[in-house]
Amino acid sequence: MEPHYEALGDEQTLDLPTEPMRLNMGPSHPAMHGTIRMVLDLDGESIVDLDLQPGYLHRGFEKSCERGTWSQVFPYVDRLNYVSPMLNNVGFALAVEKLIGLEVPERCTYYRTVLGELARMSDHITCNGAAAMELGAFTPFLWLIKVRDWIWDILEQETGARLTHSFGRIGGMAAPPTDGFRESTLAIFDEIDHVMMESEALLMKNRIFLDRTQQIGNLSQEDAIAMGCTGVILRSTGVDYDVRKANPYMFYDRFDFDVPIGHDGDNYDRFVCRFEEMRQSMRIIRQALDQMPTSGSVVSEDLRYVLPNKSDVYDSIEGTIAHFKLVMEGIKVPPGEVYSFTEGGNGELGFFIVSDGSGTPYRVRVRPPCWYNLQACRDMLIGDMIADIIPTFGSINMIGGECDR
Amino acid sequence: MPTFKLDGQDIPFESGDTIIRAAWREGVEIPHYCWHPGLSVAANCRMCLVEIRSGRQMALPILKWDEKKKEYVPATKPKLQPACQITASEDMEVYAKSDHALKAQETTQEFLLLNHPIDCPICDQAGECKLQDYWLTSQRKLKRKKTERVHKPKTVSFGPTIVYDAERCIMCTRCIRFCDEVAKDHVLDMRERGNTNEIVVSQGRELDNDYTLMTEHVCPVGALTSKDFRFKARVWFLKSSPGVCTGCATGCNTWVDHDPRYQRVYRLRPRDNPEVNQYWMCDDGMMTYKRFHEDRIITGRVRTPSRAGDKIDEITRAESVVAAARTLRSAGSKAAVVLSAQHSSEDNFVLVQLARELFETDRFYLSARADWKGDDILRNADANPNRAGAQAVCPSKPESLAQLVKDVAAGDVDAVLSLGPASDVELGSLTGWHVNLTANAGPLTSKATVVVPVATPAECSGTFVNAEGHAAHFKKAITAPGGIEPAWLTLVEIGRELGWKPNFERLGQVRAAMPKALPAGDATEDTAAAPA
Amino acid sequence: MSKKVIKRLKSEFGDAILATSDFRGDFEARVAKKTWKKVALFLRDELQMNHIIDITAVDYPEREPELPRFEMKLIVRSMSTNDRVRIAAHLADGEKIDSLTDVWRGANWAEREIFDMFGISFNGHPDQRRILMYEEFEGHPLRKDYPIGKAQPLVPYRDVSGTEKIAPFGAEEGQPWGRIDWAARLADGDVQVSPSISQQTGGRKALSTGPETSPLAEQEE
Repeated sequence: MEPHYEALGDEQTLDLPTEPMRLNMGPSHPAMHGTIRMVLDLDGESIVDLDLQPGYLHRGFEKSCERGTWSQVFPYVDRLNYVSPMLNNVGFALAVEKLIGLEVPERCTYYRTVLGELARMSDHITCNGAAAMELGAFTPFLWLIKVRDWIWDILEQETGARLTHSFGRIGGMAAPPTDGFRESTLAIFDEIDHVMMESEALLMKNRIFLDRTQQIGNLSQEDAIAMGCTGVILRSTGVDYDVRKANPYMFYDRFDFDVPIGHDGDNYDRFVCRFEEMRQSMRIIRQALDQMPTSGSVVSEDLRYVLPNKSDVYDSIEGTIAHFKLVMEGIKVPPGEVYSFTEGGNGELGFFIVSDGSGTPYRVRVRPPCWYNLQACRDMLIGDMIADIIPTFGSINMIGGECDR
Repeated sequence: MPTFKLDGQDIPFESGDTIIRAAWREGVEIPHYCWHPGLSVAANCRMCLVEIRSGRQMALPILKWDEKKKEYVPATKPKLQPACQITASEDMEVYAKSDHALKAQETTQEFLLLNHPIDCPICDQAGECKLQDYWLTSQRKLKRKKTERVHKPKTVSFGPTIVYDAERCIMCTRCIRFCDEVAKDHVLDMRERGNTNEIVVSQGRELDNDYTLMTEHVCPVGALTSKDFRFKARVWFLKSSPGVCTGCATGCNTWVDHDPRYQRVYRLRPRDNPEVNQYWMCDDGMMTYKRFHEDRIITGRVRTPSRAGDKIDEITRAESVVAAARTLRSAGSKAAVVLSAQHSSEDNFVLVQLARELFETDRFYLSARADWKGDDILRNADANPNRAGAQAVCPSKPESLAQLVKDVAAGDVDAVLSLGPASDVELGSLTGWHVNLTANAGPLTSKATVVVPVATPAECSGTFVNAEGHAAHFKKAITAPGGIEPAWLTLVEIGRELGWKPNFERLGQVRAAMPKALPAGDATEDTAAAPA
Repeated sequence: MSKKVIKRLKSEFGDAILATSDFRGDFEARVAKKTWKKVALFLRDELQMNHIIDITAVDYPEREPELPRFEMKLIVRSMSTNDRVRIAAHLADGEKIDSLTDVWRGANWAEREIFDMFGISFNGHPDQRRILMYEEFEGHPLRKDYPIGKAQPLVPYRDVSGTEKIAPFGAEEGQPWGRIDWAARLADGDVQVSPSISQQTGGRKALSTGPETSPLAEQEE
């Protein structure tokens, strides 16, 4: 049966509204990971314009940092990119150590590298798994979450917590590696490889998956660079910029690893880049575990910045005084300002810290990689359809904690 | 001015200054324990050892550990001099931050902490303790001794106000020198030698002079603690406001230490002022902080006499202002106005203006505390901080309260508006309409028919003029409870109810209107030296 | 590696570069706010600094009145040469500074956030509105004189014209648990769970219908 307006003839077509429809894809939405509000102007199913409104997870991180001491920032920093908290811990610790000019032992740097790369793997697993699940592929999601849980088991064994560890310290780490660290980490890698291959096998040749991610959410190189994008978003457009290679920090110049680059800047490239980065992370971890000294302290010896051993605190007055000064007055970071950047899960995670010489931070500015990536999301989505929001938004890995702080 | 160099910086000095004193005047601190600007030099702590590279240097032969040869080899080091004892001279080159000086500070600090008890968690000095501060700047290492430390008497009660802990004591002798030189009472001395040293009170006596709390003030560590302040508050929660003691007409400058979370004053500390109180305060002055919280009048009172006894109703502050205005509605030239030697000059000035412009009366009286025991060290016999200020703002010399009692009895006075709670005479027969503005309860307040609460000197800013004519400003520290305002503002509110329209919204306007004959604020008002 | 950026800036702008510093490897140049955009364009066009990293501000209220209170910071890098530079500018309270959105598009949200958090306005910004905070928020949180514990006024439900929107919860709608005065309820011996039912059956009046109609308020009359 033909549509009823055809039966009326051309002169009497129904008066259909032609201006764009405004639809709210509100902060409470299963696909809006971490509460983002999108106000869409739609022409049918196509997105004509889009107003992204972040800020629903704004918790006043930067203001809260100005209220305690430098060490009290670590729990806040954990909750920035909460799927890869170790990278945030390390980033902040490196920033303060850069301002102080403090050296940490080699073992600490290797330890930070390994834990950071494990966190990066867990970040990419979550992103890819969730992206796949939202397109309907539930199975790879569960397999990848199984893998993520193994990684979290290792992190729990080391730090005591699966997610928000607060394990970094200015001048070192909170505790030395456990005895079984190397063995338990290497033990899961073969299985991770296997699970990743299985997930890729389910997805990479799947017609539905390819149709929904290839050539969807395109971003050009010039746009990405002008928008300030970094990380996988930028690399998927074909730009070779990874902080670990361009400005090596810690011991990344001692490791042999590649940086995966895409060429279309679409969802598919981002997805594949993340899987490849996970494999590179495993390479880095293997090399770091080989090179890491098996004994030695993971904290600096300088009692101006690092808490003394508890036995010294209870047995000697100097330990008590050291503990007292560091806890009550805070670490006295010399006055100055510094911008320190590392490769976070989503891109260049920068900390611009200003110290006034007292134990309280004067300003802690986080340069969130998601913030600039999310800005670019508008460019990616205009012209695509509502259904494309799901994979696109999933592929930029917008973590609300980091974006809104 | 002649100068010498300290770590490359030119420090001017006056003739006779030691290095440490000249540096202290410039704001440069050389670490020290036993030196105090107000006491004689003892040079026993050895923390201020500095390297003097000018003039004839003395070098000491020492044995130095050579890491490569793994044995001691002969070497020399310069003989370091205590900066508190060496008189500064022109073109001297002093180094307090050279390697030798820093090493000396590190080892001195290690010695001082060698037998120190692990009392930081329970010691009142934590947070303002020089051992803690200098450990962080000079030592930063754990000590090398592994044996049990020397034990000495702890919590020895020296007297009614002070507790002594011998283990914490570093034998700097500041307390002994203070009692000898400033309090002029040789009651403390040192006993035994070496690491069994301790401070003792003279036989048959207690530490009970009028300045005992100053021994606690000069003690750089937590060896001497005040029984009144012990365990009451942690100093890092306390903020300090510049204040003036309300105990007597000396007007010692103080720091009012209060906790902003609870809006409570916990103690006073002397504020350095070379012209008024040098570096000291007396015990009674230190205890005047209790007046800010004890016996407070926080609500308004209305007293209705009746045959069965006076009925006292508590009313809100706003209601008491209205009640006061009602009581004084018909006050005229027979009204008596009682200024207060315990209140600031601004409070008294606004009261005088109210009296002259609204009531058009010239009957001025002065309420004051009775004299107490003065001495020639700090205490003035007049126990009121602002008698001079109250008299200066008054057009005529105010009469005493004894005269007021007589005038009321004779019927020359029909209404009384008074400030302050104090009285130096018996007020038995003071009757009639009486409005009293006060912060604390007192003899004058109990005679009032309407009592209006006002702020204490910790809750408002103002000026006190001492017996020598120095005017000193004190600043508001805490907020008065219940919306209570300073006396001058309360008087303006009462006056407004009665149709008076002065231009006194802010303290600055009151101060600008006060007579120019009043001595200007003390130059040290806001530039007092940082708390030691 | 970024020293040559500073050298090029100095040779191009001369005295307009008010100060330079090199601290812990960070190269910073301070300019006046009127040269802010010119320097930005020079960096992008002549020095290929096409990758914007961050724009932020720091608040130093104690510097007043000798120095302006805000300090703007711009961090950019070049994709081709990997050079980095930080440009700073002093800004007084109430002054506006040029927007850099037409130099680097990524500056858009960064400047919106600075406006939201500090109250600094940008000349020529295409869309200057709050980004992290809601529209009705009063004040600018990252200023040092904004106390962290400050309470905001409660925002009435927005009146959106052209729709029939009603408040989601009237006094008698929705789940009642947060509004029940249990002590009074139990004292009265009424253990009925939902006040609505009780009200519907003509039993006790609703306990929480707002302060104007609360039975407790009536008692005080």
